[in-house]
Amino acid sequence: MAGALPLRLVFKNLFRHPVRSALTAASLTVAFFLLCTLQSLVVTLDAGVEDAKSDRLVVQSAVSLYVILPESYDAKIRSVEGVEGTCRWTWFGGYYQNPSNFFAQFATSEQTLFSIYPELSIVEGSAERFMSDRSSCLVGEELAAVYRWKVGDTVPLIGTIFPRTDGSTWNFRIAGIYRSSAASVDNRTMFFHHEYLSKSLEDGAANGPDGVGVYVVKVKDGADVQSVMSRIDGLFAKGPQRVQTTTEAEFQAQFVSMVGNIPFFVSSIGMAVFFAILLAVLNTMLMAAREQTHDAGILKALGFGGRTVFLVLMLQSLALSVVGGGLGVLAAVGSSAGIRHALGSMFPLYEVTTETTVAGLIGAVVLGLVAGLVPALRLGRLSCVAALRLEK
Amino acid sequence: MKLVPFSYNLRSLFVRKGATTLTVLGIGATVAMLSGVLALEQGFRTIFTESGRERVAVMLRPGAGSEGESAFSRERADVLVKSSPEIAVDDEGRPLASRESYLAVRRFKLDGGETNVSIRGVQTASFDLAGDRLRIIEGRRFTPGSDEVIVGAKLPGRVRDCRVDDVIVLNTTPFRVVGVFEYDGPFGSEIWGDVERLMEALERPGFNRVIAKVKDGVSFEAFAERVADDQQAPAKVLSEREYLTAQTTMLSITLKLLGNFLAVIMGIAAVFTATNTMLSVIEARTQEIGILKSIGFRPLSIFASFLLESLILGLAGGAVGAVLTLPLNGIETGTTNFATFTEIAFAFRVTPEVLTTAISFALILGLLGGAWPAWRASRMNPVEALRRH
Repeated sequence: MAGALPLRLVFKNLFRHPVRSALTAASLTVAFFLLCTLQSLVVTLDAGVEDAKSDRLVVQSAVSLYVILPESYDAKIRSVEGVEGTCRWTWFGGYYQNPSNFFAQFATSEQTLFSIYPELSIVEGSAERFMSDRSSCLVGEELAAVYRWKVGDTVPLIGTIFPRTDGSTWNFRIAGIYRSSAASVDNRTMFFHHEYLSKSLEDGAANGPDGVGVYVVKVKDGADVQSVMSRIDGLFAKGPQRVQTTTEAEFQAQFVSMVGNIPFFVSSIGMAVFFAILLAVLNTMLMAAREQTHDAGILKALGFGGRTVFLVLMLQSLALSVVGGGLGVLAAVGSSAGIRHALGSMFPLYEVTTETTVAGLIGAVVLGLVAGLVPALRLGRLSCVAALRLEK
Repeated sequence: MKLVPFSYNLRSLFVRKGATTLTVLGIGATVAMLSGVLALEQGFRTIFTESGRERVAVMLRPGAGSEGESAFSRERADVLVKSSPEIAVDDEGRPLASRESYLAVRRFKLDGGETNVSIRGVQTASFDLAGDRLRIIEGRRFTPGSDEVIVGAKLPGRVRDCRVDDVIVLNTTPFRVVGVFEYDGPFGSEIWGDVERLMEALERPGFNRVIAKVKDGVSFEAFAERVADDQQAPAKVLSEREYLTAQTTMLSITLKLLGNFLAVIMGIAAVFTATNTMLSVIEARTQEIGILKSIGFRPLSIFASFLLESLILGLAGGAVGAVLTLPLNGIETGTTNFATFTEIAFAFRVTPEVLTTAISFALILGLLGGAWPAWRASRMNPVEALRRH
């Protein structure tokens, strides 16, 4: 009999104080929900980097994020050895009805968008329709859902960088709704013809800087990426605008680097949360150990070893942490769609990844072990007589 | 009504040292988290809002939300300055107005990685407008018309090529760093140079904004209204304070939301811990409660007594949280201003408001955690309580 683990006792002890167990588990649930949510925010920042394609390069101004490149660079870049094609991306920065309706809009090369970004597919409307209608646009699936847009609808945008001369809105007809299968492009963006923007500026229908934000370059199969990059940089080393060519991954990483200390802040908060919840569980386990001292004495008197006494308490701590923490992780996973929606365009790629889920569960196990350790060790070491003599 | 003596609660808190300490630390950690985020927000707000001057007008292109979006042609800027009698003049009769260019340029951090640094082209009037707020602490000012720049004091320790005699290459033009300046405000993280030289080097099509001091006695609002409706050169006019506040609204709201979100979530956990502690306190003292009741203390006195004990736990937790936050005060950090993607250096500020909020929050946690256990204690039947062993 000695050596068999009295699992029933573990179970009974957990329900000895149902309110306390429930409160402790509930604290764990909210804390682990918070930890997983915070971790997911940090992971989301890096999502674009991980999904970046290695055969895509980004050519941007070496001077500033806000300096645009001449349109004449397009042809020059395309003539560089090893370049298969280019796609223009110019940040439009308009808003829909109200400045708080923020989402990304880019003027782009409608002809090469789909060949350079094979992860894009049209779920409604058609790519042909988009290419043939110069004032049409494509919107992401999630964006369309937010504003309940359908193919054929007209989206009026107020330009902040490119205001129209007569003060009116830019009107883009939706020719298609796209879905992106990779994090390199999110599903909350609007694309329209770069040519349309350039023409409007040329005709004087709108004001704003004339040029291209960045050129995305597709490298030919088999071409050496590094030498293509240095050839492009070299082409414009003497001006008029120096460029910096990077891989798509490096380009995304730059933005993460520019976000600065935020990941560090979030991690500090996470540590504080973990510490606070550890104290809470430790508190509960100390109370449980005190109450179960008498039981421990009886167990020992019956011939069970210190190991059994230790395990009985340890398993309670583990059970509480895994159930409470697990529910929190589950809540984070379950609410991820809602949170992504609430965060809107700030974190369009918010997602609780499998890694985060696993890390959360491991965290719960570790917390259970750490919180149970001291109380369980103490109880296990107590001599039978001392334990029995202690008043409840 | 006879109250249970206060010393009874104090003593019992000391008897159960372990549980008291853990509960206090748990509340403390929660409070420290909230006040840390609030101190960050305060620091950020101080550097922006409080450094903004009320009588300095920031003029932007109508519709522009920030100077990065704004643009003025040379002619428009000139018209704006020359046709505005509301602008104050210096001793020699020149308007106290400056045309500035602005661009966030890519720079490398000392510890690796890229960042964006604001580079501002200024005219001499910008220095006159800044007055004592701008202090050269090393080297000298740049010579007007030359390829020289001065850098904000927050930069040399964070960004490459920002020490005196270093060379900063802007597109293809090299600029020499000739001085370091201090400025109580976001300008302390900027690079300043001659507006004409910078506009040429960076190929800027025009100025980004015009700043001017408004004459004493002139109503700021009337000036702003007139310029907004001006036929020749309309502009959006904000006081510098309004402008800087508007630039940080989004980050401020984000930080406050984050702080509240954390406070609510972790507050729930802390309340549950306090409840557990108080429940076990009451269980261990069931007999004592029986005695208290049988010697004539009313249920309300007992309720008040245990609630007080829980409030003391909360207060102690608040104090621990405040003490944990205090060392943050003055620590320099940087965060990204998402309006421009530039990094702004500023210090955490643990203000009295932050501390008051922290302590009040802790008291609320104690109150919520203690209410139900105290109510249970007050409802105990004295005979049964005494019988319990």
